[in-house]
Amino acid sequence: MNTRRVVITGVGVLSPLGNDMQELQEGLETSRSGVVHVESWSEYKDFNTRVCGLVQWDDYKAIPRKSRRSMGRVAIMAAKTMQDAVADAGLSEEQISNPRTGISFGSTMGSDAALFDSIGTIAKEKTFIGQNSMSFLQFMSHTVAANIAAMFKIRGRNIPACSACTSSSMAIGIGYESIKYGMSDMMFVGGSEEAHPYNAGIFEIMAATSTRYNDTPDQTPRPFDTERDGLVTAEGAGTLVLEEYEAAKARGAKIYAEVIGYATSCDGEHITTPSSEGMEQVMRLALDDANITPDKVGYVNAHATSTPKGDIAESHASYAVFGDKTPISSTKGYMGHILGGCGVVESIIGLISLKTGLLPANKNLVKVDETCAPLDYLFEHRYGNHDIVMNNNFAFGGINTSLIFKKIEE
Amino acid sequence: MTEELVRATLKEVLIEEFEVEEDEIKEGANFFEDLDMDSLDAIDLIVMMDKKLNIDLKAEDAQKIRTIDEFVALIMTRA
Repeated sequence: MNTRRVVITGVGVLSPLGNDMQELQEGLETSRSGVVHVESWSEYKDFNTRVCGLVQWDDYKAIPRKSRRSMGRVAIMAAKTMQDAVADAGLSEEQISNPRTGISFGSTMGSDAALFDSIGTIAKEKTFIGQNSMSFLQFMSHTVAANIAAMFKIRGRNIPACSACTSSSMAIGIGYESIKYGMSDMMFVGGSEEAHPYNAGIFEIMAATSTRYNDTPDQTPRPFDTERDGLVTAEGAGTLVLEEYEAAKARGAKIYAEVIGYATSCDGEHITTPSSEGMEQVMRLALDDANITPDKVGYVNAHATSTPKGDIAESHASYAVFGDKTPISSTKGYMGHILGGCGVVESIIGLISLKTGLLPANKNLVKVDETCAPLDYLFEHRYGNHDIVMNNNFAFGGINTSLIFKKIEE
Repeated sequence: MTEELVRATLKEVLIEEFEVEEDEIKEGANFFEDLDMDSLDAIDLIVMMDKKLNIDLKAEDAQKIRTIDEFVALIMTRA
């Protein structure tokens, strides 16, 4: 089968570490934490976690009112990163609205805040009177994809990717496959999540949130560490512009990297318990797609969320594929878990790694859990000469994704 | 309820919720042609005014209003 090469030509990001790629890079380099103490969550009874990774951005008027009215924070942040990515790639309205330009975006939930405002009243008062027309459009599952499509006049394919913590990594994969197999020439891809106590609450119900570091938020989460006590939810968003390589080259586009491999596969087992075998499988499938051997990968950005089971399972899957010679870190220690947005933000960290050589340390990793596999954990930043990185993400439902990016030779 | 109160409330809602510029809010202004609003905005304007003034406005009333003056007149009939 004839396939086409896919490259990244535009980036937009809002993260707890910064609101563009440069700020995100500086946040990593200086080992800053984007996790803060959130006192307002104390209004929920018997709710113990008080830490969250928050994005310091609320310039909502950057998005025109007519577009913004049907967006909650989750879609507004995504739309802002789309604006930035489009500007970064230097695209015209004609290119954006071309029928062969499509999008794929996802989030775990639509806007939690809109959901709470609307459903709470309807359920309690048993009436729809008094509801505005926009609430549902703000909290529906594909709010990010729908709103971005309308705002930017997208005429091509629109495939929402809503699969919890693999939403935005899956969106990148969908965009990559769309171009690789000739369905589109350009795809805007990414995802988002907004911070809300509900996001943290659902994990606390499952005893999976961090609660011991509420007064020292920069000390949590602690992926792979013996003293980890659960995940820290976060918010953020990101957009990548994907283009067919020859077209990007012909228009003189700035190329961040090539997407050379992607795979998604399913555990087909437990609804929440991660499977090491499933994680290993998806990494091997992505390597097959890229047609490379594991030793070619110079850095692995792990999903590791700082939960006891997940980190152990992932470490053994990574060891089975890479052994103990490939530098690996989870960058959730810097900002928490962006859920639907983590895949794209962590992929952008992969692009930073390719650009600068930075192999970011596992923030807060002091002593590796003895039940984790003996990987080449990054305890401090290193700088390498690598040209290939892998980004892995895993979601409820046993859904796994693995993405591989390669530096384009100048 | 006075017409003055209705106009003042409408002006406040248009500025704060629909981000209409104050100098665009003139007698006879058309919501759709002059204030860049559409049918969904009209429904939400009805909901917001209903809550502010505690009057009996329904979503279907949105189909009856085109201008500020028409809307104010409609509200005065329900006040």
